[in-house]
Amino acid sequence: MVEQVDYNRDLGHLPTDETESGIRVKVVYTPSDIAGVDYIRDIANPGNEPFTRGIYPEMYRARRWLDAFVICYTNTKETNETFKRCVASGLTGLRYVTDTPSASGLDPDHPLAKYSLGTGGVSGYALNSYEQMFDGLPLENVDYEGGNVSPAGTTFNYIFLVAMMERKGLDISKLRGSILNDPIHSFMVLNTREFPVELARKINADIIEFSIINTPKFHPEVPSGYDLRETGVTMIQELAFCVANATQYCQDVIEGRGLKFDDFPRQAISTGGTMDFFENICKFRALRRVWTRVAQEKLGATAERAKTCLIAMEVCASICPSQKPVNNIVRQALVMLSAILGGVQSVNPTGFAEYYGLPSEENRIVELDTSHIITHEARVPLVVDPLGGSYYVEWLTSEIERQVNQLLKEIDKRGGMWKCLESGWLQEEMDRAAIEKERNRTTGKDTVVGVNAYQGPDGPLSKAVIEDAYRLRSTEERFKAIEEVKRLRATRNTKRVKACLTELYKVAKERKNVIRPLIEASKLYATVGEMVGTLRLAHGYSYDPYEAIQVPEFLKELS
Amino acid sequence: MARRIKVVIGKIGLDAHDRGILLLQDAFKEAGIEVAYPGKFQTAERIVRIAAEEEANVIALSDHTGAMLTIATDVVEELKKKGMANSICVVAGGIVPEEDKPLLEEMGVTGFYGQGTPASVIIDHIRRRVAAMDAVAS
Repeated sequence: MVEQVDYNRDLGHLPTDETESGIRVKVVYTPSDIAGVDYIRDIANPGNEPFTRGIYPEMYRARRWLDAFVICYTNTKETNETFKRCVASGLTGLRYVTDTPSASGLDPDHPLAKYSLGTGGVSGYALNSYEQMFDGLPLENVDYEGGNVSPAGTTFNYIFLVAMMERKGLDISKLRGSILNDPIHSFMVLNTREFPVELARKINADIIEFSIINTPKFHPEVPSGYDLRETGVTMIQELAFCVANATQYCQDVIEGRGLKFDDFPRQAISTGGTMDFFENICKFRALRRVWTRVAQEKLGATAERAKTCLIAMEVCASICPSQKPVNNIVRQALVMLSAILGGVQSVNPTGFAEYYGLPSEENRIVELDTSHIITHEARVPLVVDPLGGSYYVEWLTSEIERQVNQLLKEIDKRGGMWKCLESGWLQEEMDRAAIEKERNRTTGKDTVVGVNAYQGPDGPLSKAVIEDAYRLRSTEERFKAIEEVKRLRATRNTKRVKACLTELYKVAKERKNVIRPLIEASKLYATVGEMVGTLRLAHGYSYDPYEAIQVPEFLKELS
Repeated sequence: MARRIKVVIGKIGLDAHDRGILLLQDAFKEAGIEVAYPGKFQTAERIVRIAAEEEANVIALSDHTGAMLTIATDVVEELKKKGMANSICVVAGGIVPEEDKPLLEEMGVTGFYGQGTPASVIIDHIRRRVAAMDAVAS
């Protein structure tokens, strides 16, 4: 037994013996802690099963991680221009987000949209806003990462990309990138109402099926751990929920659509990055190991590629407090570094002053530079998995894997994630974790510099960071989308839009794959609200998810 | 006997950030303050109607998208329309843009407590607002 000592921060001690997710750790690790770990079986060389050290033999020397940062401002023009300048500064993946109303399946003139227009991104109510956002940017063989997380948001992140390519006569099989198509997590964290569970589950499978056949380089289903983590779940829950969700979506398509898992694109999993440096590193290593097992046991993976997963890391905005925000530059660099040491494939930092506004263009450039400094000056990616073999890193990787597997067993026992969602068990688990996390923060158990320790005023550096954050545009500017959508409806070919939506209704009613008719309707500038409404009608729900508006006149015959 | 305080928490529009509300609700109850939280995705009109039905004396608005000014303007308008502006006070929290705070205060909306604020600070503020409203009424 180690003697209990009251460590005191003010006396220079580190007053904790736990990792961020509550894993108790010793002062030092030695060979005896990893006596049960077998190099060939549990670690292996990079590119070899179980891929603990990375999914490629050469990793970053041959293929650097994607710097895929979100760029999303209120209007499409400034978003487009910033994308172009960031690409010139080394942005390698274009991560885009549309505003809350469009992501919730509502048009800008919906009564509920008013309060959230232009918040969090451009108003993506129809194809025209995507055409403006990506004007002049290459669409083939470039990574486009849809950043919305609600069921309608992710659906149209995909539909509009394909529709835009087809309208330009481009080859959609050259579409690359991903969407965070993870409806179970959407219900867990957002609970927007556009697609009820049954409909969201069906569209999720439709997208995966359509994408495997038509856009084979695109990842149509990526579980999103970031949002889960931001609600307060632990790292163990994050990994288990992500893996269990991906398993459910793949099973739906394998069983319901007759596809083989070996024909799926490589599984991608998006995770949240938080502050515990070694916990981060080990979580990515453990995740690859867990996925390899699950892919084979649950999904029948036999191809080497099908046993591996790509990992994306998004820095959790909650680690960037509003107090002394200049410190957030340091925090982000540390999280990025840990993700790279953990062997991820894509990095998306958050804003330095996220509390005050979206990341400005210079904020993004500083983060791109950080990524390049880590690569070219610090030479961190020179050797693959440089921490592999460390007693602590290997022990912690195994411990995380063990705990994740244990939770996965519990989820299995409860019938999988769709069932866990339905029973309310997931909500209880999430709420418990959130309350615990908040308690640790308010009691000072978790030290956060500037928040519950080492407080102090914002100096000129922090003030400059706050000043630089992108502020939500004026009500007047945000409300322009209301006039725009009205103008769009008045100028497009209503007859042809109606024919397309009637076809969409028919296909949806027959419970066939709705992706093709959604693309066709999008190409004629049907709006998100109209397409969501049509799908809802075909499934027996009200046209408007919030029952505030009626079916538009030209679609009356559908209901 | 302590003054009865009933708070209706208003999440108006499409903002989904409601972790803070989950935590605040418990703290309010512990402090003897009654709470009604009708859930996300409300309109100003609905929140004011619920506040009337619940005989609440406080509406606490929460938003993390930067659109508090739009939201609070509609709530205050609605309260005036219903003749309830003197019996219900409005507080706001979450993320409120600095430049909007003076405009909100002019409308009588106060608070603006954000992430990391101890619940006791928010509870004190609500008690003070209700006491001030009582003083004006008597």
